[in-house]
Amino acid sequence: MDWTALWLSLRLSTITILLLLPIGITCGRLLAYRDFRGKGFVEAIVALPLVLPPTVVGYYLLVSFGASSPLGQVWQNIFDHSLVFSFEGLLFASIIFNLPFAIQPMQRGFESIPADIRDAAACCGMSPWTVLTKVELPLAWPGILTAMVLSFAHTLGEFGIVLMVGGSIPGETRTIAISIYDRVQAFDNAAAAQMSALLLVLSLVVIALVFTLSRRAGQSYS
Amino acid sequence: MTQLSTSLATQKKLANSMAHFVHYKNNLAVKNVRNLCLSLILMLLVLPTQVQPAQAPIIAAASDLQFALTDIAALFQSQTGQSVKLSFGSSGNFARQIRQGAPFDIYFSADESYVLKLFRDGLTRDPGTLYGTGRVVIFAPHNSTLRVDGSLDGLRRLLTTDQVTRFAIANPEHAPYGRRALELLRHFGLWSEIAQHLVIGENISQAAQFATSTSAQGGIIAYSLALSPKVSTLGSYALIPEKSHSTLRQRMVLLNDAGAVAEQFYAFVQRDDVRAIFRQYGFTLPSSNN
Amino acid sequence: MNGLRLNLSQELPIPLDVDFDCAAGEVLALVGPSGSGKTTILRAIAGTYKPEHGFVSVGGKVWLDAAADLFIPSHNRSVGMVFQSYALFPHMNALENVAAALGHLPRDERNQRALELLDRVNLTGLEKRRPGSLSGGQQQRIAVARALARDPAVLLLDEPFSAVDRATRQRLYREIADLHSSLSMPVVLVTHDLDEAMMLADRVAIVHRGSLLQIGVPSDVVLKPVSAGVARLLDMRNIFNARVVEHDQEHQITYLDWHGLKLEAGLNLKSPCGDDVSWVVPDGYVVLHRRDRPSRGEHENPVPGTIGSLVAIGQVAQLTLIPDHEPSLPIHFSIPFHVASRNGIDVGVEAVVSLLAEGIHTMHLQVDMEE
Repeated sequence: MDWTALWLSLRLSTITILLLLPIGITCGRLLAYRDFRGKGFVEAIVALPLVLPPTVVGYYLLVSFGASSPLGQVWQNIFDHSLVFSFEGLLFASIIFNLPFAIQPMQRGFESIPADIRDAAACCGMSPWTVLTKVELPLAWPGILTAMVLSFAHTLGEFGIVLMVGGSIPGETRTIAISIYDRVQAFDNAAAAQMSALLLVLSLVVIALVFTLSRRAGQSYS
Repeated sequence: MTQLSTSLATQKKLANSMAHFVHYKNNLAVKNVRNLCLSLILMLLVLPTQVQPAQAPIIAAASDLQFALTDIAALFQSQTGQSVKLSFGSSGNFARQIRQGAPFDIYFSADESYVLKLFRDGLTRDPGTLYGTGRVVIFAPHNSTLRVDGSLDGLRRLLTTDQVTRFAIANPEHAPYGRRALELLRHFGLWSEIAQHLVIGENISQAAQFATSTSAQGGIIAYSLALSPKVSTLGSYALIPEKSHSTLRQRMVLLNDAGAVAEQFYAFVQRDDVRAIFRQYGFTLPSSNN
Repeated sequence: MNGLRLNLSQELPIPLDVDFDCAAGEVLALVGPSGSGKTTILRAIAGTYKPEHGFVSVGGKVWLDAAADLFIPSHNRSVGMVFQSYALFPHMNALENVAAALGHLPRDERNQRALELLDRVNLTGLEKRRPGSLSGGQQQRIAVARALARDPAVLLLDEPFSAVDRATRQRLYREIADLHSSLSMPVVLVTHDLDEAMMLADRVAIVHRGSLLQIGVPSDVVLKPVSAGVARLLDMRNIFNARVVEHDQEHQITYLDWHGLKLEAGLNLKSPCGDDVSWVVPDGYVVLHRRDRPSRGEHENPVPGTIGSLVAIGQVAQLTLIPDHEPSLPIHFSIPFHVASRNGIDVGVEAVVSLLAEGIHTMHLQVDMEE
């Protein structure tokens, strides 16, 4: 049982969804409420990580912030270590490959709010911020929750991109998914089985819990 | 009468205050839970990931050292109290990652040319140290139709009778053992026929995974892996003569940013009693230290 | 100047060309078919729609002045709006919905005021219920209470009765009428139902494709539509063409030649003699001659013909008379069903109707009117 890897995975998933929350809400709202030229294109870009093989995403991420890229070099100069093969690099990659999982359900959540209700809130004298916090977020909550859960679970399970961008550095980028792979290669099936079972149970519990909560949220409005 | 009504009124007041108090407490409970969650999240953000001390060096090691180096690292831990972090993979892959800035401290390569190239490109302190020569075996899991022998006659027989379905080797592009497998298969004149049946492993460990599984008839794997009970119990193997492939001179080197503990480990590995572990796992020790 | 002053104009994406006022305490109904732009006009007043050109001021405050690049967003306008779908917040109960519009009050006063408003719309006892568990009529009343909560300078109602059943609608009409008397702000009501507009409004504005065609008190609009197009929108079916023969100023009569039949209409000097005009007579000014009683009065424009069709709708019989002198132009009218049956009125029967002169209204000629 590789506790370091587990802790790393949980940490990666949690920080990813915390960072994706404001990003997802902003982009989800924008796409839900506005119609603009090129919107279809933007939605396609957001959906890309869903359809692209992880190796393609991983390759482009390496190109974008590998050691020879401008971003990678800036990072190296500031922090004295490379962006790839670091936890921060995994975080960047994680946010990007989770974009569709975060944005799309949130977008659906905001789309489900009838435009009339937002107009009515404005006519009630609520400032845009109040409308967001008192009306939009409570009503879009199931979509937001779904987005967070999907992103969390997806990050826990992501393998290809993490391996390409992070390597398998113990304590830094060896997530539990990679650790399982590593144990199998080391002919340590006992550890692999243990960690796989744990991951399975963890994922099931998280998803079941959240879907129950979201169903309750949906029911309370009927 | 008034006394009764007064006490009733007081009771009502009391009940009201109780309700308010409970409501307040409930709110407090909700607030407490929320605060707890927030603190947990903050902790996650602030606390570092490493459970081990920050100084533990990271070692990139060729997969053929999977068992040998694990034993050595355990010995190091018990003798010095210091720990190291091991990462196993294909030598070529590690060389590439090191060039891209991967934060390793020591690099154990199953093929010294990778180390020498890194030194030439200024990524290591020195040309490193030879720690042994590896050997290659042909492996067949139990109940396989393949009979193993050092001249690959069993394999040849299967090939001519068209009975080979899957045979595992490591990736010849970046795994030294894969390249040697390619060489020796060519040497025995079996390459062209067997090429279409090959299952390629990312590194020699994965090749061994495939070779020991029931879905392949066997494969060419590292001697050091076959010697471990975890693998040897899964089938039978035969050593392949060294003249059928180029040597597997294995070299280790300290990388530029290696710290004190890394240097300690590097020296530890060169001790005679520790080098005996290499020999246990089938490595031929170098006669001189270069 | 406590009322609403508005003019809007724009071509795309929704054509608009309207200009009207609504005084404090007055109910103005915007009437027109679906898609005529009525709701857009309402949204422009509310501030949820920004037209290209226009000017909106309420109670002396300018909310929109496109020329001066001034646009006050909805939450800064003192507007109360009842949406067609009510747009109640589903996650809040009735009390919270109303309280949502009370942000301008100090926190400790909101509850009390919300309760008062719910009481005013007869919803006491239902404060804790969520909209999902209430009937359409109850939801509508919460919407009204919420709109009034803001002490708005203008009250906007967007087809507020369309989603409600007939009985509830009658009841709500009465309640709104009651409320009307206590309201001191301009009220703009959008509806596609002319009868509803006639019942509730002080003035009616006919809107079609974003343009204001006619505005006036209900009786004026219905009896004196400004064009054949408006007459059609008002669902008037007796629209025909004729030629002006003579104006008799002494007797206040204009004589018309309707395909050979001479008609007497109210004096209208706008069209000179010899001109072709369109004219209209409401269904209610077409009177069936009783078989047993001779016709009375001089200005009765008798039109002999044959009953072309009879459709019984409820207790009313809707009929057409095919005039003898021009069989291609049926006259529509209606009588109580019992009268039809008692007089033996049925398809094919010969009958005479009178077109009462005071109901005949002439308008500018619309050439294709009789096709």
